Amino acid sequence: MDKSMLGDLDGLPEEDKLRMAAMVDQLQIRDSLRMYNSLVERCFTDCVDTFRRKTLDKQEESCVKRCAEKFLKHSMRVGMRFAELNQGVATPD
Amino acid sequence: MAPKGQPVNMQKEQMFGLAEKEMEYRVDLFNRLTQTCFSKCIEKRHKEAELNMGENSCIDRCVSKYWQVTNLVGQMLGNQPQA
Repeated sequence: MDKSMLGDLDGLPEEDKLRMAAMVDQLQIRDSLRMYNSLVERCFTDCVDTFRRKTLDKQEESCVKRCAEKFLKHSMRVGMRFAELNQGVATPD
Repeated sequence: MAPKGQPVNMQKEQMFGLAEKEMEYRVDLFNRLTQTCFSKCIEKRHKEAELNMGENSCIDRCVSKYWQVTNLVGQMLGNQPQA
């Protein structure tokens, strides 16, 4: 999650800023745990479908790694575009 | 200021409550958007760790369209007579 999407906290009293920051931190922890779970679920589903052994084979392992890496890159790009839309920036087609 | 202390505090609590809901909503929207566009744009065999050009432009369009649909549905729900 990107802090820039939450709007700016300027102009608030110090006490309120701290409270908002604590709120954001809490959300971020919850969000990163959720993201972890969903990423595991997705990459497991996409990469692992045979069960002849109880360990990942080479192919499955590299698929999972690529899947996770790609998801993170994807998520960063979506974050960028999402922030632009939140700020009302027009983007080319 | 003293007699007004209570209502001002109440208002502030309400504001924080609203702000929290708003943040939760944004995070939820972002997560759904990310999941949905990953499903729609990214090739499932994961042969590459890099996003290719087609995937990149698919992501940009997907995000933009998801946003449009969000606004469209929001408008329709907003125009609905109160039940």
